[in-house]
Amino acid sequence: MLLVLSEEHKEHLGFLSEVDPAVVGEFGRIAVEFLKKGSNPKIYEGAARKLNVSSESVQHGVEGLMYLLTESSKLMISEVDFQDSVLVLGFSEELNQLLLQLYLENRKEIRQILGKLAPSLPHYHNLEWRLDVQLASRALRHQVKPTVTLKLHLEDGAKRSARVLQTDPATLQHLIHELERALAELKSSHCRRILRNIK
Amino acid sequence: MRFRFCGDLDCPDWVLAEMSTLARMSSVKMKLLCVQVIKDLLDEGIDYDKVSKLTSDAKFESGDIKASIAVLSFILSSAAKHDVDSDSLSSELQQLGLPKEHTTGLCKSYEDKHSALQEKLREISLRLGRLEAVNWRVDYTLSSSELKQVNEPTVQLKLQAQDPETDSTQTTVVTITADKFRVLLTVNR
Repeated sequence: MLLVLSEEHKEHLGFLSEVDPAVVGEFGRIAVEFLKKGSNPKIYEGAARKLNVSSESVQHGVEGLMYLLTESSKLMISEVDFQDSVLVLGFSEELNQLLLQLYLENRKEIRQILGKLAPSLPHYHNLEWRLDVQLASRALRHQVKPTVTLKLHLEDGAKRSARVLQTDPATLQHLIHELERALAELKSSHCRRILRNIK
Repeated sequence: MRFRFCGDLDCPDWVLAEMSTLARMSSVKMKLLCVQVIKDLLDEGIDYDKVSKLTSDAKFESGDIKASIAVLSFILSSAAKHDVDSDSLSSELQQLGLPKEHTTGLCKSYEDKHSALQEKLREISLRLGRLEAVNWRVDYTLSSSELKQVNEPTVQLKLQAQDPETDSTQTTVVTITADKFRVLLTVNR
């Protein structure tokens, strides 16, 4: 599958052919850093001063590289397809090889970062539990009533929340039984057939 | 195989697997590592530099260091949780394949800090809505817009409790008449 680059994108990346391949390597490294940790505009100005060009062209060049890398990693395109897509930009052979190396080395990590961007529900972080026995209350003395108190800690991105739940042991047994049935469903022939076909 | 320190259940597979990792360290270094892990369990802070110095002789990679800390934390906290005495712990660890010198070192550290560990575990057990502070004030109402002579004492109570779900402090202010307050005190005696 070939990557289709828009005219604007090609123009931004066109700037890269005007500088040394070493500088392009440096830009590539900066692009990967920005993908991992977020962008830092001060670096654009420093690079622009050293190369004697406008900081805007540097910014476009780096952002163009970032977009190229994320799109290629997203679609998981093969080496050949990547080289063909980059050929369109009319770079030198050395530059093409450099870009290919950059793509192959960082592909896995970029895919991991992109994976975390999908929307998600709050997920399990921790479960604390406590077994209590109620012996008496204001209304009734000499009781024996066991209860299980649970505090379920959930995490949603950076937010932590907790829910307090209380149940008696019989309901807890039923809950465990239902959850084990859900796990056993994975081993049914229907599920196995689907999993086999996905792999 | 049922182990007392695992609560009369089977020992988890990963604990069994990491016994060989622990055996790669010398027993002296392992005892020092135990001391660090106990400090971490008691919330006194773990010194990762010391840990990496201790494990550098055995040429542990970062995965091995994490695994050894995890397995020592599990053994020590699980043994404290199930109130296992150090002799049983020692024989059970030797059954799992931990060499004798390592086992004696570990059990000595466990025995020293046994009650401190149990205290700490008791502290971090689940507790909902802790009462943090109670402030009170007795007022005497002389008169009001409804009645010229009221002459009633009232108690104002300010309760600061921890909200069980958000762990933030919630303040509740209640005003109680004298009779109701007397009922509250006598019933709860």
